[in-house]
Amino acid sequence: MKILVPLKRVADPDNANKVKIPASGATIETTGLEWKPNPFDEYALEAALRLTEDGKAPKVRAGEVVVVTFGPKETETTLRAALATGADRAIRVDAADDKLDGHLVARALKALVEREKPDLVLMGKQAVDGDSNQVGQILAEQLDYPMATFAATMKEEAGGLLVGREVDGGVITLRVKFPAVVTVDLRIVAPTSVYSMKTAPAFKYNDGVRFAALPAIMAAKKKPLAEVKLADLAADQGLRVTYHGFQAPPARKAGIKVKDVTDLVNRLKNEAKAL
Amino acid sequence: MEVEPQICCAQFFQPDQSAICTSLRAMSAAEFDLENPTEEHRMLRAMVRDFAKTVVEPQADEHDRSGTLNVELLRRLGELGLLGVTVPAEDGGAGMDALAAVLVHHELSKADPGFCLAYLAHAMLFVNNLYYAANAEQRQKYLPKVLTGEHVGAMGMTEPSSGTDVLGMRTVARREGNHFVLKGHKALITNAVDAHVFLVYAKVDDKITTFVLERTMPGLSTDGPTKKMGMRASTMGEVIFDNVIVPEENVLGQVGGGIRNMMRNLEIERLTLAAMSLGIADRCMEIMTTYASERQSFGKPISEHGQIQRYIGESYAKTEAARALIYSVARKTGPTFRNRLGTDASKLFAAPVGKEVADNAMQVLGGWGYCDEYKVERFLRDAKLLEIGGGTLESHQKNITKELMRSGAA
Ligand SMILES: Cc1cc2nc3c(=O)[nH]c(=O)nc-3n(C[C@H](O)[C@H](O)[C@H](O)COP(=O)(O)OP(=O)(O)OC[C@H]3O[C@@H](n4cnc5c(N)ncnc54)[C@H](O)[C@@H]3O)c2cc1C
Repeated sequence: MKILVPLKRVADPDNANKVKIPASGATIETTGLEWKPNPFDEYALEAALRLTEDGKAPKVRAGEVVVVTFGPKETETTLRAALATGADRAIRVDAADDKLDGHLVARALKALVEREKPDLVLMGKQAVDGDSNQVGQILAEQLDYPMATFAATMKEEAGGLLVGREVDGGVITLRVKFPAVVTVDLRIVAPTSVYSMKTAPAFKYNDGVRFAALPAIMAAKKKPLAEVKLADLAADQGLRVTYHGFQAPPARKAGIKVKDVTDLVNRLKNEAKAL
Repeated sequence: MEVEPQICCAQFFQPDQSAICTSLRAMSAAEFDLENPTEEHRMLRAMVRDFAKTVVEPQADEHDRSGTLNVELLRRLGELGLLGVTVPAEDGGAGMDALAAVLVHHELSKADPGFCLAYLAHAMLFVNNLYYAANAEQRQKYLPKVLTGEHVGAMGMTEPSSGTDVLGMRTVARREGNHFVLKGHKALITNAVDAHVFLVYAKVDDKITTFVLERTMPGLSTDGPTKKMGMRASTMGEVIFDNVIVPEENVLGQVGGGIRNMMRNLEIERLTLAAMSLGIADRCMEIMTTYASERQSFGKPISEHGQIQRYIGESYAKTEAARALIYSVARKTGPTFRNRLGTDASKLFAAPVGKEVADNAMQVLGGWGYCDEYKVERFLRDAKLLEIGGGTLESHQKNITKELMRSGAA
């Protein structure tokens, strides 16, 4: 199975308070930010690795995992980390962060998918910076591929996947045929969430994403990393979304103490209007 | 060497080139990364930091309380390739340098210094020592199982009646045909209780010699765990040799070559021990600054009280000085370029910094620091060991002076 995993770097979500907005409110100050891969994209990469291996022998890849990111030269750090974690090959689409929106990324990805012909495009359900949650859906529409969003479980079958989505009151299972687009939710990295046809049903993964082993870190430099120009993938680089201003969220107000349950219910009903 | 940029531009360049000069300066300031000389070091640090935070930290308190080594966790370090960080790739290691070993100990100690000490005893005292002292057959026989962690390693130098005075050791090995008979007693040995293999120093005709021993050898036994103040996530105990028959193939290096092996390995040991103190200091800095900004007294955060600022400011300056010393020495230490002075100086300086910063953190946290919730009491107990183990502060003072006298630098 060949899988394409798009990755985006985002400002370290654990240090969200370091994101600064200048007084003009025109941009977000990115100098000095620590970059991390978008967590949902890391989950997608982990799921892609699980789909292309036997869980008990994860060093051998059955198929190919290709990672792609959009951004300036520095974003290759994100790709190298993915290569160290187990991806086979990386592509950087050279672009400036502020000259991209979800629709343009999806259009360029479409062209890349037509070149690379993966069986599956596996992506995070959203990036935790803009929280747009749209690239996967736009891409599937543009390619006219089957799509499953917010995947919590995946099981490989001949020529496709069984995808479990958690919804109110239960789980919906979708059968998608390759080629397809799937976006993942955080439960996809639980110990029993993903099974390739090679992995025994009783096998359990460690919870969460895997760590890049040191020998793989040393070998990552030797794996191929190609650069592609955005113009080669998207003739029209027009943006459909432009940002008009940024504002930090208001400081949280101090909480209040309620006397008893009756008081709580009263306030929820009359002040918060939540009941 | 810093040159004042404005002066440099004004004096040596045409005005239209000053922009280039300034941008070069900005670039080198931004790109010089003392702690991560290469992309691989940076990635290794990111990996160990994540692993320490998500996997090591959650189990630390439990093993501190029970006084047990988490052997499974040590094996996970094996899966990640960290047990052979300094062993060349052709022999199954990662082939990285002293700085890589330093950064692994630095990051692990931010979460669990006790566990890190067991890792050090395994990866530095046993694996690294064995690798550099052993011949090809010995490497082939002993490395694979210690690189995965299937076998736990320990190193025995100290004895009940000789620590700093290494040459005073009493364990002897008597040659009998094609084997040696070992008799003696080692004490204060990290991992002794859990280890499968031991690197042991003993005297052959009064000359110190290195042997590799296996737990299954008749006559070898261990005692313990010896109870201790801190570093309780690693075990410590005695190793007793009651006429253990050791084949001559188990001599590492030359008969009488033990001191050479010992001295070579002591450098990376001291440096990684110093890195553990730095990890403790970094973590305690973080705990105390967060607390000082949140805790209020007399209507303001305690960080606004001058006496608290002294604890924070001095702790910060000392931590940064330890970092600068350790990492610059690490860049200049390796199997082919020795750095006795630098490594002794690193541990002599960093060990008290780790202890002082942990103590300062406890003072800033007041009564809550003395309780276990904020972890600083564990870090303070752990920090003290670094002033003793792997060489006492006094031994570093002695070594440094001796070295300076010898080299005529004084
Ligand atoms: C938790 C822990 C783990 C350890 N792990 C290991 C291990 O894995 N393997 C191993 O071999 N050892 C290990 N040790 C032993 C450790 O290396 C020794 O404790 C250390 O070298 C000091 O030796 P000692 O305890 O015998 O003290 P001593 O040498 O008896 O020293 C007592 C005091 O006298 C001072 N002193 C001694 N000689 C001089 C001198 N010439 N000039 C001035 N002052 C002097 C010392 O600095 C110290 O203050 C461990 C110790 C601890 C506590």
